[in-house]
Amino acid sequence: MDILNQLIGGFAVALQPMNLFWALIGCALGTAVGVLPGIGPALTIALLLPVTAQVAPASAFIMFAGILYGALYGGSTTSILLNTPGESGAVMTALEGNRMARNGRGAAALATAAIGSFVAGTIGTLALTFLAPAIAELAFVFGPEDYFALMVLSFTSVAVVMGRSMVRGFTALFFGLALGTIGIDTQTGQTRMVFGTLELLDGVSFTVVLVSLFAIGEALYVASRSGTVPAAINPLSGGSWMTRQDWARSWKPWLRGSVIGFPIGALPAGGTEIPTFLSYALERRLSKHPKEFGHGAIEGVAGPEAANNAAAAGILVPLLTLGLPSTATAAVLLAAFQNYGLQPGPMLFATNPDLLWGLIASLYIGNLILLVLNLPLVGIWVRLLLIPRHYIYGGIVVFALVGVWGLSTSWMDLLLMCGLGLIGYVARVYDFPIAPVLIGLILGPQAEIQLRRALAVSQGDWGVLVSTPIAATLLSIALLVLVVPPMLARLRSRPKAEPAISTG
Amino acid sequence: MSVNPSRQDARKPRPWWLGLGVLAMGALWLNGARSIASTTNYIGVGPAAIILAVGIGLTILGVILITQTMRGELVAAAEGEDEAPPSRSAFLLALAGVSIPLLTIRWLGFPLSAMLAFTLVTHAFGSRRTGLDLGVGAVLGSAAWFGFSRLGISLGPFLPLIG
Repeated sequence: MDILNQLIGGFAVALQPMNLFWALIGCALGTAVGVLPGIGPALTIALLLPVTAQVAPASAFIMFAGILYGALYGGSTTSILLNTPGESGAVMTALEGNRMARNGRGAAALATAAIGSFVAGTIGTLALTFLAPAIAELAFVFGPEDYFALMVLSFTSVAVVMGRSMVRGFTALFFGLALGTIGIDTQTGQTRMVFGTLELLDGVSFTVVLVSLFAIGEALYVASRSGTVPAAINPLSGGSWMTRQDWARSWKPWLRGSVIGFPIGALPAGGTEIPTFLSYALERRLSKHPKEFGHGAIEGVAGPEAANNAAAAGILVPLLTLGLPSTATAAVLLAAFQNYGLQPGPMLFATNPDLLWGLIASLYIGNLILLVLNLPLVGIWVRLLLIPRHYIYGGIVVFALVGVWGLSTSWMDLLLMCGLGLIGYVARVYDFPIAPVLIGLILGPQAEIQLRRALAVSQGDWGVLVSTPIAATLLSIALLVLVVPPMLARLRSRPKAEPAISTG
Repeated sequence: MSVNPSRQDARKPRPWWLGLGVLAMGALWLNGARSIASTTNYIGVGPAAIILAVGIGLTILGVILITQTMRGELVAAAEGEDEAPPSRSAFLLALAGVSIPLLTIRWLGFPLSAMLAFTLVTHAFGSRRTGLDLGVGAVLGSAAWFGFSRLGISLGPFLPLIG
């Protein structure tokens, strides 16, 4: 029972008063930010990355973990009461939850979302506890060619899964890869793509890219479209708590949602959209009240909300064991690790057990804190929505400035912020996904290192890339990810596509 | 012209410049790969190889994007049809807010630049209470400056003009 001992050690770290305090801060901040539409966990953590300069690593990650889970709780609140999902994982919750709120069952919807999140978060964290060390052990056998194959798989799946078209996904990915090549080549010391600017020698900072694409792009987008009617808050009228029947209809979707969410979240590029969608579809099929779907079925809130939280625990598996981020949030967490000079992966379990197990233990604690924070205090969080929108976005821009200017007080970073902010705006308008940019930027240089390392070992023989069963399998899967969706689409559209295609 | 004419508005501008931008970036990277003295040593992959690969990828994607645009497949993301058209003046005002620190941050310092950025952005969102917005922006900027300085994050001198 080595894992249990490690976990107990982790609780010893997480239960220190100072770390408990950071967990509380993270949960409160995460919830507050999750409630505000348009700002997700990735951006919140990115805006707070500068604190890594001053706060001990364990405390910082405990806070970030609180933000990650807290933002999910907050996101469901906004989805249910405002019908504006703050992040993609909450879309399905909005569908049924907002209907429930309109029918005067808002309190029950919020409760099933909160308790479901707690159940799923705990199950997901348990799975993470017992799975992560095993996968980390496994990762020790990975050679550079295996890591390269894994990253190729990560690239293709992120580019294919995120966004609506493969071309746009790959454009985003290659944009990120291109940004990643700017700066000094780590292996030969040559300068690359710096356009004669000294300030680019260190490369483009991840924080600048993230903050600009998300925060600045979003602020520009919302400002240009703010002529629309502001969303109105649905009062929590008829706030009846969950009835006995609600409990009976909720607990199975919670468990099923957890079972769907965790493994998919743990896949490279699993994300949270797919499991929430699958859970919704499944509950709809299994429900005894299928007619209620679309009009406020409680199963449609309980299942997806559980899947969402379990998937969030799942994304920590590849991140902590292999150093492989599969969502924007995970990419930011990876950047935070790198800020401390730490590289998540199998070695980290051996070298920094206190940090890792403290982080895992804090997930249990954070879940509990969130349940306590959310059930009675939901009315307070909703007040945040009363802050006028222009102040929220004005504030976001100020904090983006803190994040970018505080990095190294570099004028070039501010210029990059404006340029990338415009690109973020264009991406928002034309529906290009952002996550592949971040993953290309953060994994691209690593993939390059692994490729060159593998080729150096084999003395330039490209056959090395498929020389191990792991690498060959991963590359085959990557190829399938690339080839299968368009084939399926073609098969599906063939019968009816003929008349639809007109002369171009 | 378009694949699904019922869905798309013929008057919608087609973002041909988007594919062109990606293409230009690809060309820039291809050119960059050329100018790096590629020490194609025994491993066969020097520092220029990845840049070449990225350049080729971006070029191909740029061509595909342009083709898609010409065929009318690439238009603005579907929004609610009943939404108001995007406001150019609000966009420009917000952009001004985001870029004003470029001009001011070196001689006005962080708090005042943040105040100006905040005010411009709030005005882009339709706020017209300039005095209040300036005040809130100044408080927010100063609070951020003091708070983050205490965390050890340097945001430059408070008011560089004074020193």
